[in-house]
Amino acid sequence: MGAGAALRGLPLSVRVPLIAAGLMVLVGVVASRQVLTSLDTVQEERLRELARLHVDGLAVALGPSVLRRDVWEVYDTLDRATTALAGQRMVLTVVADEAGRVIAASDPRRAPVDSDLAPLLQDAQRVDEIRLSGGAQHVNVRAGLDYQGRAVGQIVSELDVSDLVAERRRAGLYLLAGNALATLVLACGGYLAVRRMLRPVSLLAGHMARTEGVPVAIAAADLPQGDTELARLFQTYNAMTGAVEARAEAERRLAERERFVSLGRLSSSLAHEINNPLGGLLNATDTIRSYADRPEVVREAADLLDRGLRHLRDISRATLEQNRLDRHGMALTPEDFDDLRLLFAPEVSRLGQALDWQVTAPAPALAGFPAAPPRQIALNLLLNASAAAGAGGRVGLSVQADAGGLALVIRDSGPGLPEPARLRLMTDAPLQPGGGVGLRLVRDLVAAARGRVEYARREGMSEITVHLPARGAPC
Amino acid sequence: MTRLARRTLIAGAAALIAAPALLRAAEPIRLGLTPVFLDNDAEAVGRLRAALGSGSGRAIELVQRRTYQEVTGLLLEGAVDAAWLCGFPFLQHEPALALLGVPVWRGAPLYQSYLIVGRDDPAAALPDLQGGTHAFSDPDSNSGWLITASDLARIGVRPETFFQRTLFAYGHRNVVRAVAGGLTRSGSVDGYVWEALAGVEPELTAQTRVIGRSERLGFPPFVCRRERKEDAAVTALAGALLGLSGTDEGRAALALLQLDGVVPGEPSLFDGIRARMRDVQAG
Repeated sequence: MGAGAALRGLPLSVRVPLIAAGLMVLVGVVASRQVLTSLDTVQEERLRELARLHVDGLAVALGPSVLRRDVWEVYDTLDRATTALAGQRMVLTVVADEAGRVIAASDPRRAPVDSDLAPLLQDAQRVDEIRLSGGAQHVNVRAGLDYQGRAVGQIVSELDVSDLVAERRRAGLYLLAGNALATLVLACGGYLAVRRMLRPVSLLAGHMARTEGVPVAIAAADLPQGDTELARLFQTYNAMTGAVEARAEAERRLAERERFVSLGRLSSSLAHEINNPLGGLLNATDTIRSYADRPEVVREAADLLDRGLRHLRDISRATLEQNRLDRHGMALTPEDFDDLRLLFAPEVSRLGQALDWQVTAPAPALAGFPAAPPRQIALNLLLNASAAAGAGGRVGLSVQADAGGLALVIRDSGPGLPEPARLRLMTDAPLQPGGGVGLRLVRDLVAAARGRVEYARREGMSEITVHLPARGAPC
Repeated sequence: MTRLARRTLIAGAAALIAAPALLRAAEPIRLGLTPVFLDNDAEAVGRLRAALGSGSGRAIELVQRRTYQEVTGLLLEGAVDAAWLCGFPFLQHEPALALLGVPVWRGAPLYQSYLIVGRDDPAAALPDLQGGTHAFSDPDSNSGWLITASDLARIGVRPETFFQRTLFAYGHRNVVRAVAGGLTRSGSVDGYVWEALAGVEPELTAQTRVIGRSERLGFPPFVCRRERKEDAAVTALAGALLGLSGTDEGRAALALLQLDGVVPGEPSLFDGIRARMRDVQAG
């Protein structure tokens, strides 16, 4: 289980050759086993044949002597056979009568005349049943000794099989070495071949790992040649990167447009906000013209003009500020929230809503954040809250700083966040057509700032809290 | 024509009369050999035959048999002209046999019987071997049976009862092999054979140890049937035997046999064996 898990943890370019090598070892072991078994069979057959010839030859030579119990003749035959076959297989041959009493042995010290044959018979095998077992250097063989059609005695021979055992061991070693070498060569070859075959896959994996969610197309020069599976895979990957890029571009444009959309939603209120003072301002200019000789009236009218124009200037500046495209790198300040209030207040006023505005975060705490994302987040959520609260409802914003960062809390007295809106704000679920992208833009901005969004209903109010972590703070 | 025919007839008749003598002269002299130590040495046997052939002017046919009894039988029935026998069978058939010559070994026509045991056997003398296994050379051998049997007879026992088991190896070299290989604990062997083997097969005799030597007794002699002692073949053979040391060929054969020569010898040379025979018969 552990080994399997470890194997699965290895790269494909190592794992596949390893599996191939493992299979080669398995095949080698099975093949070696087969060869050794065959060698055993051949050796046993050979030994049986040799033993049969040995015993049959002795039986012919010894028959009359055994019949006469002629100790010397039996010994002489065995001794001459041993001398003639010196260095060959026979180590000891013992001849006994049918009662199991030794007549003579090629080495009488090991089997004296008249001794009992039984101890030597214990581990003796019949000629036709000889088996080579383990690393035993000698094998004991027994056979009956027939002469003139009747059993006259028994022969037990100790045969030297050390050469066969050595041959088997040698064959085993050669097989082991050969298989090890072949396995090594094949495993290396397999490793290199598979590594070569998998190089495009590694390239693909490298591309995907390097891009961190933004796939980059693979250069045409690196594409595998021919209409192989890998070539098609690469083409598919490149097509996919194109699609992802197109989607990202579309989302970027949507987000860009959303900034105008949010302002567009305020345009009516802002128009009123600009239009309302205009009547007063025009009256002031008439007054100046009519009472040009009355300095105090002119001064009063000029003051009125001044206040009205300053208000218009502030509205314009806030609108422009919201639309500025080059705010990258500018730090968040309390004035950013004043701008928001300036933009949002006419909408609240138009709908007759109560606005609860509490920005308690001090300037140093705000300075750690870029200006654009919090402004856009707050504006989108406030517009959403205002729409949800409806005419005469309540809307609130509170901006607090703590050790972890900044918390923007937007409340409204509306009926609560509908499911499609919640999905857009809280999940990455695909956008439904016609639903708008304001809340999804909030989600994307919060995600980009490594923050999080929470939604809750408290005391009849919907409450959306956006946590933006300070730089360097844990998520 | 008539004269020619008569002459041819006379020549033919003369040839017919001469033919048996020529044929007889062409017949080989047959010499029986007991299994002495060199019965396995083809070169020594061949040299002996060649030397005797040269010395006698006749072809020599050597006849070998497994036992002394068989060779003695061949001699007595006339199947061989002479034989190299042991002193014991010579004495057994002394009335029918005559000495042709006695080999000289180490300066005298005498030799000994050796009692041998395995190299590591602790036995020091014959009594220590009681209950063991013993190899004799031949039941008709002086050194290979009679000496030990008579030694035992002198202490009142017989080989079959003194030893647990006895066997006959039919050859002095075989006795040495039986003891050296451990087939028997001890053996009775011709001292001349044992010493000769020590020269040519030291690895064999080194596995044995001599624990007893008999008195010096008459060396195995060349004998013939008494009534044929004056036959031309026998006299030619006797001459060749006695003259072996006088020719290079003969000396070469004697060297291989490790003998000095052959002397006429006297029956009294075998009195020691005769005494042994009496001891056994008395036992």
